[in-house]
Amino acid sequence: MAAKKVIETKNLSKVFKNGEIEVHALTDVNIFIEEGEFVAIMGASGSGKSTLLNILGCLDKPTEGEYYLDGVFVNDLNKNQLAAIRNQKIGFIFQSYNLLSRTTALENVALPLIYNRTGKFSNAEEHAKKALEKVGLENRIYHKTNQLSGGEQQRVAIARALVNDPAIILSDEATGNLDSKASIDVADLFVKLNDQGKTILMITHEPDIGQFAKRMIYMRDGRVLTDEFIKNRNTKESAMRELELTAK
Amino acid sequence: MQQLFKTIKVAFQAINKNRSRSLLTVLGIIIGVGAVIMTISAGEGANKQVQDQISGLGTNLLMIYTKMEHRGGTHVRLGRPIDKKDFDIIQKNAVWISKLSPLVNVGAQAAGPNGYKSTVVYGVNHEYFDILSRELSSGDFFKEEDVKSAGKVCVIGETTREELFMDLDPIGRQIRIDKIPFTVVGLLKEEGQGAMGQDQDDIILAPYTTIQDRLFGHRRGYDMIMASALNENSVADAKMEASELLRESHKIRDFEKDDFEITTQVELQEITGNITGILTILLGAIASISLIVGGIGIMNIMLVSVTERTREIGTRLAIGARESDILTQFLIEAVVLSLAGGILGTVLGIIGNIVIYKLTDFYIPTAPYSIMIGFGFAALVGIAFGYFPARKAAKLNPIDALRYE
Ligand SMILES: Nc1ncnc2c1ncn2[C@@H]1O[C@H](COP(=O)(O)OP(=O)(O)OP(=O)(O)O)[C@@H](O)[C@H]1O
Ligand SMILES: [Mg+2]
Repeated sequence: MAAKKVIETKNLSKVFKNGEIEVHALTDVNIFIEEGEFVAIMGASGSGKSTLLNILGCLDKPTEGEYYLDGVFVNDLNKNQLAAIRNQKIGFIFQSYNLLSRTTALENVALPLIYNRTGKFSNAEEHAKKALEKVGLENRIYHKTNQLSGGEQQRVAIARALVNDPAIILSDEATGNLDSKASIDVADLFVKLNDQGKTILMITHEPDIGQFAKRMIYMRDGRVLTDEFIKNRNTKESAMRELELTAK
Repeated sequence: MQQLFKTIKVAFQAINKNRSRSLLTVLGIIIGVGAVIMTISAGEGANKQVQDQISGLGTNLLMIYTKMEHRGGTHVRLGRPIDKKDFDIIQKNAVWISKLSPLVNVGAQAAGPNGYKSTVVYGVNHEYFDILSRELSSGDFFKEEDVKSAGKVCVIGETTREELFMDLDPIGRQIRIDKIPFTVVGLLKEEGQGAMGQDQDDIILAPYTTIQDRLFGHRRGYDMIMASALNENSVADAKMEASELLRESHKIRDFEKDDFEITTQVELQEITGNITGILTILLGAIASISLIVGGIGIMNIMLVSVTERTREIGTRLAIGARESDILTQFLIEAVVLSLAGGILGTVLGIIGNIVIYKLTDFYIPTAPYSIMIGFGFAALVGIAFGYFPARKAAKLNPIDALRYE
C-alpha cells in the first residue's frame, strides 16, 4: 500500500512584483511529500525557501501551479477556508518562536484550538498538556513565556504545532536563534516526533541539522536543485560528540 | 456562538495582561460617563425642584397680568393695566373661577424690634392664601374685613421673622413698613428655596387695599390677578372665560389682540420644564464631549496595541484565526474597556452626586436614564473608536505580521 500523499505541488511559481521590478522567487517547483516523511530544505539565502514554505503553509498563494495538501486542492480555497486548513492540517514553527508574551506555556499551546471550529478538541487544556509532555515540558506547563529559555520556548512552539494533530509540521529555521546544543535537542525532538509518525518539513541553514532528516531538498534561485534521501543520517549522539570535539 | 465565547475570553486575557494600561485607557471614559451622569442628574434635579414648586402653587392657578414687551432693555406695558374694574367683572361673572386675589408689590423698608431689611411687600386679599395653598405655622391669615377696611395687618415668612424679630414671637407685635406700623397676625410655614434660588420665606403679605392707600397713596392698577379655577379640569375653561371678560372690559375689538396675558400653572410648568430641559441637554452634551475624547483615547491606545501586537496577530492568523476572529477580538477589547469605563464612571457619577448633596444640600437623585445614556454612549464610543484599529488588525498580512520587528 502506497503511503498517503501529504503535499503535492505541480509547477509551483511565485513572482513578487514591486512596481517595475519582478522577483521570481519560485519557478516550477514540484514537490511530493508522503505521510511519515522528514524532509529538510536547504539553500542559499534568497533561494526561495521561506516563500515555498509560506505557500505550503497556506499563508500565501502561488502565482502559478497547483498545490494539493492532504488531498485538498488549495488553489480553490477562500480566506476562511485557508484559515481553517491552517488550523487543522498545519503546524507552524518559526525561527523567533512567536509565542504570546507573559502567557503560560499551556495557554500558548492551546491557542490553535481556540480557533478550531470542528469541536474535535473540546478539552483544549488536556490536549495542550499532552502536547507539552511530548516535547518534554511537563514541568513547565504553568511557566510564562518570559520565564523559559530559548530552547524551551521553541519546544513550547513545537508543542503548539503538534496540538492540533496536523497533517504536516512546517518549520522555518526553528534552530536559527538557538545555540548548537539547543539546536541539536530540537532536531532530535523532530526525529522522535517523526518516529511517532509525524510528517515534518523543515528549513535550515545548518547542514548538520539538515542531516537529521530523512530526505534533503536543495534549492537555488527559486528552483529545486536536488532532492535526495539522506544516507548517513545525523543522530543526537554523533552531533554531541562532534560538538565536544570542536569545543576542544 | 461558542466561537464568540472563546474570543471574549481571549479579549479579556489581553486586557488583563495590560492592566495598568487598560485602566489608563478607560480613564477618559470613566470621567466622561461620570460627567454625563452628574450633569444630567443635576439638570433633572433642578427641573424636579422647579416643577415641585410650581405644583405647590396649586394646579388650579391662573395668573392674569398686563401684556409686557421688551423695548430697549426695559419692560413696557402694552395697553391698560389690570385694575379693580377687571377684578370686579371677573368676580361677578365668572363661573369657572372660584377664588380671586389682586396682587400688587412694592419694594419697602421693613423694621422690626430686632432688625430691619429691604424687602418686597405683596398686597393681596384674603383669598390669596387659599389660591396658593399657603399654610401658617402660627397666628392667623388676615380676614376679608381687614381687606375691606384697609387694616394695617400683615403675614410674614420665616426669613423675615428671623431678621426682624430674631427669637421673639412675632404674632401680635408690630413692624414698620416704610414707617407705617403693621401688626403681624400670622407666620407662614417654611417653604425653603424657590425654583430660581429665591427665598420664599423672605416675604411680607398685607391687604392690597392697605398697600395701595398707605404706600402708594392711591388705588392704581394691579400688577396681577391671581385666580383659582373651580377644579383641575376647568382651568382651560376658566382661562377662556377670563379672557372673554377682560376683552369686553378692555373694549378690545374682534380683530385686535389681547392686551393682557393669562398663564396657568400647567403652562408655567411647561415653560420652566422647557428651560431646564434645554439646560439639561446642553450640560449633557458638553459632558458627552468628554466621552468622545475618552473614545479617541481608546482608539489611540488600541492602535498602539495593534502595532505592538502585530506579531501576535500574525501568529494567530497563521495558526488558523479568521480575519473576523481578530476583528471581533479587538472590537470586544475596545467595548469591554469602554463598558468597564462605563461601570466605573457610573459609580463615580453616583458618588459625585452624593458628595455634592453632602457639600451643598442640593439633592441630586441620580436619574436612571442618565446611567443608560452614559452606558449606551460608552458602548457606542467603544464600538465606533474600536472598529478602526480592529479592522486594521484583521487586515494585516500574516506573512508581514510574522516578520514584523
Ligand atoms: N514580499 C516580497 N516582496 C518582494 N520580494 C520578496 C518578498 N518575499 C520574498 N521576496 C524575495 O523572494 C526571494 C526569496 O525569498 P525567501 O524569503 O523565500 O528566501 P529564503 O530562501 O527564505 O532566504 P533566507 O534563507 O535568507 O531566509 C528573495 O529574493 C526575496 O527578496
Ligand atoms: Mg527564509
